Amino acid sequence: MGKKVLIVDDDPDIITFVVTVLEENGYISLMALNGEMGMTIIKAEKPDLIILDILMPKQSGIKMYRDLKSDESLKKIPVIILSGIAKRTFLRSQEALTAFGDEPVPEPDVYIEKPVEPEELAETIKNVIG
Amino acid sequence: MSKLLLIDDEKGIVRVLSISLKSDGYDVVTAYSGEEGLEVFQRESPDIVLTDIKMPGMDGLEVLKRVKDLNPDTEVIIITGHGDMGSAIEALQYGASDFVNKPVRDEVMAIALERAKEKLFMKRKLREYTEDLENMVRIATEEVRRKSEFQDKLITSSNDGIVATDEGGKIVIFNPGAQKIFGYSRLEVVRKTSITDLFPPEIGEEFKKALEHKKIFKGFDWKEVMITAKNGESVPTRFSGSLLYENDEAIGSVGFFQDLTEIQRLERELIESERLAAIGQTVAGLAHYIKNILSGLKGGAYVVKIGLDKDDTNKVRAGWQMVERNVGRVSELVLNLLTYSKERKPEYQVCLPNEIAEDVCVLMETKAEENNIEIIRNFDSSIGKVSLDPDTVHRTLLNLVSNAIDACIFDSNASKKWQVSITTALEDNGIIRLEVSDNGCGMNEDVKKNLFTSFFSTKGGKGTGLGLLVTRKLVGEHGGKINVTSQSGKGSTFVIRLPYSEVIH
Repeated sequence: MGKKVLIVDDDPDIITFVVTVLEENGYISLMALNGEMGMTIIKAEKPDLIILDILMPKQSGIKMYRDLKSDESLKKIPVIILSGIAKRTFLRSQEALTAFGDEPVPEPDVYIEKPVEPEELAETIKNVIG
Repeated sequence: MSKLLLIDDEKGIVRVLSISLKSDGYDVVTAYSGEEGLEVFQRESPDIVLTDIKMPGMDGLEVLKRVKDLNPDTEVIIITGHGDMGSAIEALQYGASDFVNKPVRDEVMAIALERAKEKLFMKRKLREYTEDLENMVRIATEEVRRKSEFQDKLITSSNDGIVATDEGGKIVIFNPGAQKIFGYSRLEVVRKTSITDLFPPEIGEEFKKALEHKKIFKGFDWKEVMITAKNGESVPTRFSGSLLYENDEAIGSVGFFQDLTEIQRLERELIESERLAAIGQTVAGLAHYIKNILSGLKGGAYVVKIGLDKDDTNKVRAGWQMVERNVGRVSELVLNLLTYSKERKPEYQVCLPNEIAEDVCVLMETKAEENNIEIIRNFDSSIGKVSLDPDTVHRTLLNLVSNAIDACIFDSNASKKWQVSITTALEDNGIIRLEVSDNGCGMNEDVKKNLFTSFFSTKGGKGTGLGLLVTRKLVGEHGGKINVTSQSGKGSTFVIRLPYSEVIH
């Protein structure tokens, strides 16, 4: 049975694209349109990988990433950030949260800036979870 | 001490009299003839002359005339012999102050001298008063002249144009500031032109009326008016004016003008440069939005390719929809950027505002239904054909309705029955009101503050932050206003007021 990958993005176009890449490469895809929905699915399905967008309404990817990495039962799930935001901006925002008293969190396993080529995305996923 | 000259040809009388006068405290000089008397007079300048009337050679009357010629202020007392009444009267006519009869009695002499001294004193006082008065008049005149000159300079050196008229509305003051603004020289205008020829009609007529009725007129507060200069050009000015009163009676009018041409040019330049700076910032801030579009396009192309390879029509359709959607987003973005960066004049056309609002509702209906949002139309059916820029109405309404729907989508309170209402109404003074109201998530103070800031967006990767900027610019160019009220968690209302002109059938 194929491995389960969750894609969290508020843009349905990105979801369609990532899901197609996942299917083409033999993975089972799960999808969520925001962080809230994402956390519910993660807890229920325990996916093998999470592909996460940063800029989303309601609950941003910055907060969701932090919640994931602070949860003992979920922190082992690898995360690929796929975002239009530059990596250093994301890291800076995490540092800022840490500076305000939150626990430090590890850097994401892979950070991909949009737009991404389908081949590059497939290769990256393979490298992370095989 | 008064100096006294005593003239008599009888040396004995001179001796006796001078002793008695000296003992009375006078400084006495003497002479024994009229001629000698005059010499002593010129040398000693006495205040009082006491002269015998009958003397060999120059007699007392002649001495009196000469003395009065030399110094009219001198008091001359004539000493007359018995039966000289005729000469005495003549002497009085020539200006003698008194006469005493021989033999001279001390008391009579003392009274005559007292009187003479009093006269001298009065004369001196009078002279002092006269001099004082003249001095005061001179100082006052100088003061008045200085003040008037100062006021003249004040009016002349003022940068504001100052135009004053008499009670008939004829121009009497036209300072250099006014010459610069109106383009007429002082000579062309002063006492030649009437206020109604020079001022814009609404001001000129009002002034004229007020002057004619001589009633209390509260004047004009500062306001912007267009004046027509000599060369026919319109000049924007800031104007204020009032009537001039003297004892509650209108005696003229005065108007102050400030040239706004330069200020308005600078304002335009500032707005232009601010907008261009905002474009730069906006483009930088749009990076993630553009990356999302690129992702969508690339992703769409990829999905289409997979679909074609596998003969999977559903995949092809899904991919194609992605491409289409993102081409739409690119066009909208580019269009917004162009609209925002260029100055645009509204293109007025005869149109039906309710129809445009209906078009917008139809365009947004599907998205609203998908998200359980009801669109409510409150169109004022009395709005007929009017002249305004239909594009402005369409784009601003579309932006506001699309925002309102997003506000409902972003609202986390799922128990709400979401509604977006669009209202059209006519207001006084040729204003049409377009109102878009929602009961979605509303805005907090921070969002409200940044509402019209470039590339500020609350919509994550989906917002460019350009929507309200463009909306405000379009409304501004149409001479309209946009207002926002919002409460976090309760919803927002955007009101646009646009001036329109009625179409006469």
